[in-house]
Amino acid sequence: MRRQIPIVVCFVFGIFMLAQFFVSHPLLTRGYQNVLDWMQIIFVFALLVGALSFLILHLDKISKQQKEWGYNLVALAGLAAMVFLGFFKGIQKDSPFLWVFDNLQVPMQSTMFSLLAFFVASAAYRGFRARNFQSVVLLVAGVLIILGRVPLGEMLHSKIPESATWILNVPSMAARRGILIGIGLGSIATSLRIIVGIERTYLGKG
Amino acid sequence: MPVLPKYMKLNLDRRIIFILMAIAVIFPLVFKLGLPNKVTPEVKNLFGQMESLNDTSVVLISFDFEASSFPEVQPLANAILMHCFSNNLKVIGISLLAEGTALGEKVLKENAAKYNKVYGKDYVFLGFRPQVTATILALGEDFHKVFPEDYYGGSTADLELTKNIKNYKDISLIISVTDGDIPFSWINYAVARYNKDLAVLATAVMATSFYPFLNSGQIKGLVNGLKGAAEYEILLKKPGMGARGMDAQSMAHLLIVLLVILGNIGYWMERRKK
Repeated sequence: MRRQIPIVVCFVFGIFMLAQFFVSHPLLTRGYQNVLDWMQIIFVFALLVGALSFLILHLDKISKQQKEWGYNLVALAGLAAMVFLGFFKGIQKDSPFLWVFDNLQVPMQSTMFSLLAFFVASAAYRGFRARNFQSVVLLVAGVLIILGRVPLGEMLHSKIPESATWILNVPSMAARRGILIGIGLGSIATSLRIIVGIERTYLGKG
Repeated sequence: MPVLPKYMKLNLDRRIIFILMAIAVIFPLVFKLGLPNKVTPEVKNLFGQMESLNDTSVVLISFDFEASSFPEVQPLANAILMHCFSNNLKVIGISLLAEGTALGEKVLKENAAKYNKVYGKDYVFLGFRPQVTATILALGEDFHKVFPEDYYGGSTADLELTKNIKNYKDISLIISVTDGDIPFSWINYAVARYNKDLAVLATAVMATSFYPFLNSGQIKGLVNGLKGAAEYEILLKKPGMGARGMDAQSMAHLLIVLLVILGNIGYWMERRKK
């Protein structure tokens, strides 16, 4: 029963969502609007599960004093501080919650992202080698895109941005389309397998 | 055999590379270079589409980004908001990512203040809703059910701008300012199901993912990263953060190309030596 009920629920809702997409009937439309509400309610519970899982994971590491457990303590302190500030001091303009967000989280995350420029430069110097034909093609395409996407490319030669645009619009787009069509077909096949109960891995091992 | 100069050896100290990169980025930000930028057709298309809207048009701008990419996304958001407000378009701001909420509100308010726009009449900010798919689909059914209140707790049924918005039919254009893949959800649900026009303003690293949809007509305009922001600023005739950032990005890209060339010279010379 533990496995049959979720499979039946999945089948009923899968068929319902398919039907409501193609059939415009008031009853189906009302049902669809209810499902949209339920989705948001379920997601809120998923958020709670996520927060709980975060808490359990870090508490476990702290209690066992695993390697570098101080970082787990910092993560939990951060969570507790933001929950406290959000619930008791509010999230409106000039609140401590927003101050922490604007002056700690935003600069820290931007800094992490900005570091990419330094690591990309170092990695490009060490890794971008013309070792064989394929790597030469990759190297040429990479250099053309790097230069073609900034004004400097246009200054060096008018053909550089044109070549970069061609690479994006022809070979790159062809590859992306292939991937997208593959994903689409795969999604349809997997969805059908889930709806009819062939694919059951989402139920877990139980 | 020639002896390799130290700078051509593969083990060039990474700290030197980091210092060079810092100089390449900081120098153009301090001393303006003013490199010329060419406007691409995809940006021109979006600009044209925005120009075709009138002062009764409502634009839904979704701030779908996180704090990490704010320096790149902010010029994009500024450019599109300047265009909206200078053309007296009505703007509804939302966010499908929690982090985008505070940042989206900040950018929206700053730009609205520059044009003396009135909250509730010319623009509103509705804040964050979880579950991207459900939110996008539900906005197509009943706008007020998804956002009964704005970000500040006021009823959307009372605000002049939102009181008559029922669903996507009352919105002229959706714009997703993003650093991730949320536009895929906008395409799958708002465009495919509700036939709504969508434009995407994305970070350069994500923008390439959306070119197939631009080509197929599923998105009406694509502004690609900092370069796109700079192009939009050219069309607006208001050079700002995008144009300044492009100089720094140009120098950083040039440095990367020079490092690649240097690395390959060193590599080939070592190979010959062996």
